[in-house]
This record gives sequence, C-alpha cells and structure tokens, in this order.
Amino acid sequence: MVYLNLFLAFVRIGFCSFGGLSMIPVINQEMMQNGWMTLEEVADIVAIAEMTPGPLGINCATFAGMRTAGILGALCATFGVLVPSLTLCLMAAIFIQKVKGNPLMGHVMYGVRPVCIGMVLYALFTLCESNFFPESTLQSFYFKPVLISIVVGLISWKTKASVPVLIAIAAVLGLILV
Amino acid sequence: MKKEKKASWKRALTVLRVMFKVGFFTWGGGWSIVAQLQREFIEKRGWMTQEDLVDIISVGRSMPGIMVMNVSVLFGYQIGGIPGVVCSVAGIASPSVIVLTIVTGFYTQIKDNIYVAKALVGVRAAVIPIIGGAALKMRKTAWVDYKGYLISAAAFLLCVFTPLHNIFIVLAGAAAGLILQRGNKDGLS
Repeated sequence: MVYLNLFLAFVRIGFCSFGGLSMIPVINQEMMQNGWMTLEEVADIVAIAEMTPGPLGINCATFAGMRTAGILGALCATFGVLVPSLTLCLMAAIFIQKVKGNPLMGHVMYGVRPVCIGMVLYALFTLCESNFFPESTLQSFYFKPVLISIVVGLISWKTKASVPVLIAIAAVLGLILV
Repeated sequence: MKKEKKASWKRALTVLRVMFKVGFFTWGGGWSIVAQLQREFIEKRGWMTQEDLVDIISVGRSMPGIMVMNVSVLFGYQIGGIPGVVCSVAGIASPSVIVLTIVTGFYTQIKDNIYVAKALVGVRAAVIPIIGGAALKMRKTAWVDYKGYLISAAAFLLCVFTPLHNIFIVLAGAAAGLILQRGNKDGLS
C-alpha cells in the first residue's frame, strides 16, 4: 500500500509544481502529511538532489521513495512524478505534430520563439545571481565562480568541447581554486 | 513497412543511449540539457532543427511537471513517436535514479564533504557558459527581425519583475505573434 501512496503523492507533486525549487513546498506537505519524513529530512533531500546530476524532481522522488520503501518505493515515486510529463506533454507533442506546417502555427511561433530566448536569459540571470552573489547582496560577490565561468566559456568557444568534458574541467577547477 | 519499423526502433535505441549519457551531465536545472540536445541531435546527427528545439523548449517550459522530463517527452515523440518517448524518458531518468539509489546509503558523508562542495562550485559555475552557448545558437531562429528582440526583452522583464508564470508569458508571446503576423499568409516554418 505504501507503494501506491508514494506513487499518488508524487503524481500530486508533479501536477502541482513546475519543477525545480517550486516543488519543495509541495514535497514538504506530502511528506509530513504521510509521516514519511521530517522537515530536516526534506531539507537533506533537497541538498542531496542539488549535489547530484539530473532534475531536482526526479532526484527528490527517488530519494524519498528509497528512504520510505526501498528501491521499489523509489521506482513508484519516480514514475509518479513523471505522470504529468507523460500525459500532458505527450498530448502537446501529438498536437504539435498535427499542426506542424500550418501557417497560423508559424505566426504563433514567431511570437513564442523570442519568448523562449527571454526565458533562457532570465534563467542565466538567476544562475549568475545565485552563483556570483551567493547571499544575494552586492557585498557577497564571489569572484572564483566568475573566473570558472569565464575559463569554461573560453574553452567551450575555442575547442568546442562537449558538455561532459566541460563539466569535468569545471569540477577540477573547483577543486583547485575554491 | 517492417523495415521502417526496425529503423524507428534503432533510432529509439540511439535516443536511449544518448539520453542516458545526457542524464549524467544535467546540472543546474532544465536548461542545461538544451546544449546537449543541440550538440547530439542537431549538430551531430541532424535529426531535428534549431526551430524544432526552440518550440519544444517553449512548450516544455510552460507545462506542469519537471521541465527536463517535459522536454524529453516532446523531443522523444518528435524523433521517434511513442518508442522515442519511452527511450528518451527512460534514458534521461535512469542516471538520476541510479545515482540517488547509491547516494541514499551514505548521504551524510557526501553532504558535508569539503571536496564535493568545492567541485560543485565549479560545476555550477560551468552551467552558465553552457546555457549561454545554447542560447547563442538559438538566437538566429528566434529573432527573424527587430520585433523579436522586443518580444525577448519584454519576456525577460516580465520574468524579472512579475510573478507571472511562464505559461502566461508564452501565451502572451503567441498572441503577439498572431497579431504581428496577421495577414501574412506564408507563415514561418
């Protein structure tokens, strides 16, 4: 029964959030209500999820499921958090395929594509803020990540190195410089 | 017909393999998979165009759920239908599940490990030029004329100064597109 409950809890978490840190209040609520975890444990999950590759939502689901009911629990929770993507986005994908080439869709995308650039710029803006000004004050300016960003950027530009290579270089730079 | 089916499964298996790799190197939120998808499926294999990717991201970003997974579903369907979706999702989710399953056992040691913390400062800083590079590649398809700059600037400012959710900003962009392009019978893509 705990498996079904885990699955359903993470289905709710998936539908009520938009990924990333916005999931945490919802995860908090579900974990406390079911008595699966304490507030501190949820804070630990978030810390671990941010230290490991992959999306925060999947990491949280795996970790929470694992802590509550072992590997099978982890799979149920992870599958649950995937349900919105597998339903809503699949429908969207089918719809997009259907209307492809329609001139009206071209008009829509003329406006939507620049929005995408605006959103990625905003993502960059928040990343710069959280990395370069960790306390979100001007005084907290942290020079080392800026240096690493610039070095990795130059390497990427000059050598066209792949993302895994860049990540590895950055980890080494972090170990040496920080 | 049978041959076609075989080819589509072969393609789906490639998706599985590549997405599995991508999953291990997705740090700092959903945008960092964009750079990897560009490299693997646009530049290396030519299976999709920059436009396709921008469209997928716009939709994936505005739907509920996890952005990386939304983008994976949309991407997988476009590349290889339902088998593509299964392989893309399984591929990108497995690394997280594997890593977390292992880490759960000794997370207290990792959490307070100074070397892990140092390396992570580097990794997080690297995400900025990686996403920046991806954005640079997308700009040509997104900005066909000066109005594109204005829409991008407006979207950015809405993100910074208002609590509006992305879906409303994307819908506003769609409305702007319909209004600005009205009467243009050719469409774009």
